Amino acid sequence: MKISNIQRFKRLSTVVAGVFTVITFLLPNQVLADGGGDFKAKCASCHQPHKNSTGPKLFQVRTKWATGGAKEGSIYQWVNNWQTAAANDPYAADVSKWSSTAMSQFPDLSKEQINGIMDWIDMQPDPATAATTTGDPTQVGGDPSATEEEGSFGWIWIVIGVIFVIIILAVGGVRRQLKHVTSEEELVEKLTYGEELRAMAWKYRLWVGLGSLVLLLAILVTVLQGLARINVVENYQPSQPIVFPHDRHAGVNGIDCKYCHNSVTKSKSAGIPSVNVCMNCHKQINGEGKPFADQIKKIYTAAGWDPTGAGKYTGKTSPIVWNKVHVLPDHVYFNHSQHVVVGGVDCKQCHGDMKTMNEAVKVQPVEELNKIEGNIKLSRPTLTMGWCIECHAAKDVPLGNGKSAYYDEIHRRLKDNDKTLYRKYLKDGKVTVSELGGWECAKCHY
Amino acid sequence: MKKPLIIALRMFTLAATLFAVGSCASDADSSGLEYMPDMYRSPAIEPNVDYGEIRGREHKEYKTILSSLTPPNHTIPFYGTDSTEVKLMLPGRKASFVFRETHGLFGFDFSMADEYTLAAEDKTNPYTMTPANAPLILASGKEIYTAMCQHCHGEKGDGQGPMVVSGAYVGVPAYAERAALSDGQIFYSIYYGKNMMGAHGSILNKKEIWTLVHYVRQFQRADYGKFDANGKPMTAAVADSTAKKTK
Repeated sequence: MKISNIQRFKRLSTVVAGVFTVITFLLPNQVLADGGGDFKAKCASCHQPHKNSTGPKLFQVRTKWATGGAKEGSIYQWVNNWQTAAANDPYAADVSKWSSTAMSQFPDLSKEQINGIMDWIDMQPDPATAATTTGDPTQVGGDPSATEEEGSFGWIWIVIGVIFVIIILAVGGVRRQLKHVTSEEELVEKLTYGEELRAMAWKYRLWVGLGSLVLLLAILVTVLQGLARINVVENYQPSQPIVFPHDRHAGVNGIDCKYCHNSVTKSKSAGIPSVNVCMNCHKQINGEGKPFADQIKKIYTAAGWDPTGAGKYTGKTSPIVWNKVHVLPDHVYFNHSQHVVVGGVDCKQCHGDMKTMNEAVKVQPVEELNKIEGNIKLSRPTLTMGWCIECHAAKDVPLGNGKSAYYDEIHRRLKDNDKTLYRKYLKDGKVTVSELGGWECAKCHY
Repeated sequence: MKKPLIIALRMFTLAATLFAVGSCASDADSSGLEYMPDMYRSPAIEPNVDYGEIRGREHKEYKTILSSLTPPNHTIPFYGTDSTEVKLMLPGRKASFVFRETHGLFGFDFSMADEYTLAAEDKTNPYTMTPANAPLILASGKEIYTAMCQHCHGEKGDGQGPMVVSGAYVGVPAYAERAALSDGQIFYSIYYGKNMMGAHGSILNKKEIWTLVHYVRQFQRADYGKFDANGKPMTAAVADSTAKKTK
C-alpha cells in the first residue's frame, strides 16, 4: 500500500519534471535556496559537500556518476531508494560498497528537489582550498627552545664565574713569581697563598667580619627559600605527546570540561579521556592546515582509524602516553568527585581558566588562580598542604538547601542538638569545611 | 680566625651549588625538587601515572600499555544493585557487526541483524517517570545534557550547539526532526552511536542515558514530563508508525 503510493508519487513527479525544469530556469535562486534547505534538512547529518563523512562527499556527484558509467537517472533512483538503484545499475551497486552504513531512503524527494540540492552543493566553495591556516599548533605551549635557554642561563654565569676565579688566581701567581724575582733576598716575603690571605684578612678584620656575616645571612635565607621550594610544583608544565589547545576545545567550541574529563563526577581521578572520546568529534574534524592535521593524525593512529574513503576502524589501537601534570604524593588522598559534586567547587578554582589557555596544561601558580573572578583567594603555593588547608578554612558549605541529604542531616543535627555550636560556627556568617572536620588529619592522610 | 673564613668559603660553594640546582627548576618539563620521589611514583597503581619509570628503574613495557584506554565492554557500572533495576537498565539491543568498523566498538556483543530498526519496538523508557520523580529526572537530565550533549546538539536541542555555530562541526540534526524515534532507538543512538555520532556507552552509565532520553523528549514535545491532575502524563504515547521510515 505504502510502496504503491510512493511509486504513484514518483510517476507523478516525472510528469511534472518538465514543468519544474522551466521553473528552475526562471527562478534559479529560489530553487537553489530550497536546495540548501533540503540539503541541511535531509542530507547534512551524513553528507558534506567536500569531505567524506558518514556518506561520501557530494561535490559534483552527478558528473562523477555520469563519467563513472552510471545509467541515466539512476542517481535519482538512488536517493529515493538506494536498494532498487543498486539492483538496477551495476555502478550504483558499486557505490553501495563504499561504506557499510546503509543510506536512508528518501522516497518523497522529487528529481527537481534532488537537482536543487545538487546544484546547491556544486556551488559550495571548497573550504580546504579557501582555508587559511589560523595558527600553528606547534606555537602552542610556548617555544621549547626559549625555556631551555632560560635553564642554561644560570650555568653560563657559573662558568663565567669559574673562569674569572681561574684568571684571578693565574694573575696572582704571576704577580707572586714576579715579586720573588725582584726581591729574592727578602726571605720574609715567602708566604703561601693561605698565609697571604690570612694576613690580608687580619689586616681588614672588621670588613671581613661584616662581609662574612652578611654572606652567612644571605646563604641562610637562600637555603631556607630553597628548602621551601622543595615539592612545590607550581609552573610544572610537562610537554605532551599531542599539542592540545584547551582554548579551542573548551572556549571557542564550548565543550564542557566534564565531557572529556567525564570521570570527574564519579571518581577520585578527573581522568584523561580515552581516545574514543576524542574520536566522537575528530572522526569528522581532521584539521584544516597541515600542522593541525598532523596532530589529529596521532589520534587516528591511537584509535586505529583509517580516514581514507569512508573511513573505518582497523582495530589496531595504540595508547597515547600523556604526561600527568597534577601529581599528589601517595600519602595524600584527594577525590575529585567529592569536591566537584558534593562541594560544588568549580574546576577553575584549582586549574585556572582553561577556556583561555592556549599552552600546554601546567600547575597554575596561586597568583594566577587568585586573578580569576569568583575564586577563593589563597596565599600558599598550589598543590601544597597549606593551600588545601587555607581553602578548607575559607570555603563555605551550603547547609540545608535540600541538595545533599548528607549536609541536610548535618544541618538538622546542628540545629536540633547543638545550637550553641551552630551559632559559634555561624559567627563569620558561614559554616566552613574546616568546621565540619575538613582539617582533621585522617580526612586526607590515611 | 682560620675557621670562619674556611666556613665562609665552604658556604659560598654551597650557595653556588644550591643556585645551580635551583636554576634547574625553571625547566617547565621538570616538576622541581622532590623530597621523597617514591611518594610521587608509588608502586600502587594510580590512574594516568607513568609507570615506565619507578624509582629510577625504567619499565618500557608499562610505558606503552598503561595509559588512557577505552573502558572494556561491560565495565561501565549499571546504576544500583537492585536486580530488577539492573535488568531494566540493560541496553536491550545489540549493535550490528558494522559498528566495529564505523564506531570502533571492538569487543562488544554483536548482532547480525540491524537491531537499531528492531529498537523501534522498545517504546517505553524503563526508567519510568512519575509525577514524583519527574522534576528530579529532568533536573539531572539537564545537568548531564549540558555536560555531554549541549556542545553539538545545542542548548535548545536544535542542533546549533557552540561547535556547530563556530563551524567546527556540521550535520547535527535537531531533535524535533527525529520525534518519531522510539525511546529504545534514542538509547541505542547514545549507547552505540549513530552515523557520525560516536558511542557514549563508555562515558555514561545506563541510568544516565535513560535520563537523557527523558530530557531530550522535551525538545520534541513541549508538554513532555508534565502530568495532569490525575497523575497521567499529558503526552500521548509515541507515534511509532513513522519510526521505521527514518533511519
